[in-house]
Amino acid sequence: MVRTLERHELTTLGRGYGVLGSGGGGTTTMWQLILAESPLWPLTVFGVEDLPDETPCVAVAFGGSTLLLGERIPGDAPFAPLVDAAERWTGVRARAVCALEGAGLNGLSPFSLADELAVVDADLMGRALPRLDQLTLFVDRVPGTVTICSTGADGVVVIDTARAADVEKLARSAIVQAGGMSAVLVAGFTVGDLREHAVTGGLDRAMRLGRAFEHDGAAPSLPELADALAARLLGVGRVMTVETTPDDPFASTIEIRADDGALLRVIARSETLAFMRDGQVESVTPEIIVTVDSLSRSVLQVDGFTIGRHVAILALPAPEWWTQTPERLATVSPAAYGLSGLDGPCGSDGLPGMGGTP
Amino acid sequence: MTSELDLDALLAHPGSGGVRVVAGSSAAPWTRVDVEESVADLSRSVASALAILTTSWPPASWQQDALIRRARDLGYRAIALPGADALRAGGRYLAERLGVVLLETDDPIRLAKACWELLEGRDALTLGYVRHVAQSIEYHATGLADLLRHLSASVGHGIALVDAERVILQAGGTLPRAVHDAIDFGPWLDTVSVEEGAASSVLVDSPSRAGLRLAFFGDGLNAAQLGALAVAAEVAMPAVAARILIDEVADVNDAAGASGLLRDFVEQRDGRDAELEQRMFDRGWRTTGFHVAFRIIGRTRVDTFQLLRFVTRELAALPGRFHVATSGRGITGWASFTSPPPPGVVEDLVASLRVVHASTRRAFNVATGVGALHSGSPGLVASIDGATDAARIAATRSSAGWFVRIDTLGLEQLLLSWTENDTFIPAAASLLGPLLDGPPDLLDTLTAYLDHESGIAATAEAMGLHRNTVSTRIARSQEILGLDLSDAEVRLAVHLACRAVRRAPDRTTTRRHRSTS
Repeated sequence: MVRTLERHELTTLGRGYGVLGSGGGGTTTMWQLILAESPLWPLTVFGVEDLPDETPCVAVAFGGSTLLLGERIPGDAPFAPLVDAAERWTGVRARAVCALEGAGLNGLSPFSLADELAVVDADLMGRALPRLDQLTLFVDRVPGTVTICSTGADGVVVIDTARAADVEKLARSAIVQAGGMSAVLVAGFTVGDLREHAVTGGLDRAMRLGRAFEHDGAAPSLPELADALAARLLGVGRVMTVETTPDDPFASTIEIRADDGALLRVIARSETLAFMRDGQVESVTPEIIVTVDSLSRSVLQVDGFTIGRHVAILALPAPEWWTQTPERLATVSPAAYGLSGLDGPCGSDGLPGMGGTP
Repeated sequence: MTSELDLDALLAHPGSGGVRVVAGSSAAPWTRVDVEESVADLSRSVASALAILTTSWPPASWQQDALIRRARDLGYRAIALPGADALRAGGRYLAERLGVVLLETDDPIRLAKACWELLEGRDALTLGYVRHVAQSIEYHATGLADLLRHLSASVGHGIALVDAERVILQAGGTLPRAVHDAIDFGPWLDTVSVEEGAASSVLVDSPSRAGLRLAFFGDGLNAAQLGALAVAAEVAMPAVAARILIDEVADVNDAAGASGLLRDFVEQRDGRDAELEQRMFDRGWRTTGFHVAFRIIGRTRVDTFQLLRFVTRELAALPGRFHVATSGRGITGWASFTSPPPPGVVEDLVASLRVVHASTRRAFNVATGVGALHSGSPGLVASIDGATDAARIAATRSSAGWFVRIDTLGLEQLLLSWTENDTFIPAAASLLGPLLDGPPDLLDTLTAYLDHESGIAATAEAMGLHRNTVSTRIARSQEILGLDLSDAEVRLAVHLACRAVRRAPDRTTTRRHRSTS
């Protein structure tokens, strides 16, 4: 389905991608400011079925520290050198673009190429994920893909390998070389590949999620908001402590004393990965665990858990793509983040782990 | 299995591997104990159970939460594992919330063994206690108190030697009054458990001290532990009874030695004897400084050794340094000061001695005399003499509460106290009988004559009479009495008799006056 995106819908879309970020993915503010100035409005967004299957496509995103985007403003066409490099390497000029990460600030990245390429409503994650080896194309081992990263000073690196772990490692080096943040592009696939090997309809979902926060008059109650988001309201309470996990300095555990007295825990790395109530796991990745400030209703990033803040935690269903096969699930389950015990024995008496995932 | 294990019993068990409560409190006892390496090895428990895990807490707080929750969902109501320091505040909160008791143990295997003993291996529990009792007997004890300390330290519970009234000796804790009151002194074995604690006691079969019980006590002991401790008490009792006897023999020997030494010292008076001084020094008796002696004598026959023991115990509660020894039909003691004590201190001392006297009188029919403050070796003898005299007086003074202090008696009163007793007055009256029947001037003149050292002139002057009148009256008196006043013994007897007889009519007045002094 071809849809037209109006300029005034940009804020709604940005908020929706923020929700899909599951506490990570970065804030969309910078892209919203840049895109608002674009002369191309209204923008056209194609569904995967609206373009011929053989249409060469690329996926774009910023990798590394999303915070840096606030300090180092990307140029007019941050992805242009990468698109060119992809053409040189693959021999074909891309004619379509999709998001590499359909969440957070990267949900809006493809629109920076909207003047040249057709924007497709599909992405390679369907939510925020921290690593490049977690791309749907790589998980399904789609052959012929290449990954291109900017390395700073107009340089690019082309990574052509069938081993996803190498992509993650080499791209990470390029990102470090580029100063902590760099443009990343994946090429060598077609729009037809996206039907099977990508999460489709993410933009649609983001729009729906973004609209759920809009209201005339009084703000909806938290249960109403959860209904509008098609989410489960996991808990409401006050942040008590934020601890670093002793054996993993990048993992933090947030203790929340629920209004009903329960002990809530949010376990997060760069995204929110799990939620426990009274020692029982109630939600784990790839479910999208969203935290909103219960007063302002703003969607919080992981670093927004400050002691004393009153928050509400909601769980959105995982993108279906990830739960379709055990292999896909294994790539985004807590164990893939080095967190053992969260996806342990399922069932009646053990930790529910993945049992809670629809 | 019908046996149960509760938290208090586990905490009271001496061999529980240093178990302590980290969070939660126990409501119901546990009927099962499972020991596993980690929570993942636990299986569903149908009963309310205690899980002992040998692996410490996982590092992350959410993992700790999950452990607590999982164990609870499996039916466990308590979890014990090493390293509670790793447990975060959230975990403690969750445990309280879920009603799970969290225990920390330094040694999970020992804890497991303790649980097994309490739940199933009761004979092992008993044998463990008995073995500890045997071990403690093996070590040399310098006295009963030392033996009890050994027993308490070895068995791991408090121990007390009690009679119906009070705790005679205890070690390893304080026997709560409520527990003591609950002990039944009748049966051979008795176990009590009240709110304040519990005890297992056994009758002490001692020939010299009836009505004693030996009790092991502690807080939170359950029936299994009390049963085992009762056996331990039975095993320990003969050693305690033997020790009581040994200590008693030693005490009697010691008292006899002290008594002999005191006698030698008092008899020696002012003479110096290096050997005697050394013996006194060995016993810790210092003759230098200032002394206030006291003497407690039986008004009827008393066991001076028991009296000594009682008084020694009473004096132990008083400040200051006392020495006491049996002597004659009572005991003699003294308090020593290195520098001259201010009058207030002496008054306080006498007041304390009066309290001791009062409590001693509840058990013994005694009279107490207190000597004056004197210094040095001769002073000590003098003070003892004074106390001895005062005690003799006190023995007849019910109005003074059988307690007399020499300082409050004038010489006159002392003299009177010698002459004013029931045997002397009739004797005096009979001696002077012929004179009493006649005119009073003969008795008056005779008394004045004796008061004036048998001097005719001095007597005449004092009485305002002519010397010839005096000598005539003396001659008549001698004639009537049929006595020879040139004999010193006779003169003394007549003199005393005169005093006694002349005083006799106003005796009651005098006594009332004295009792208030």
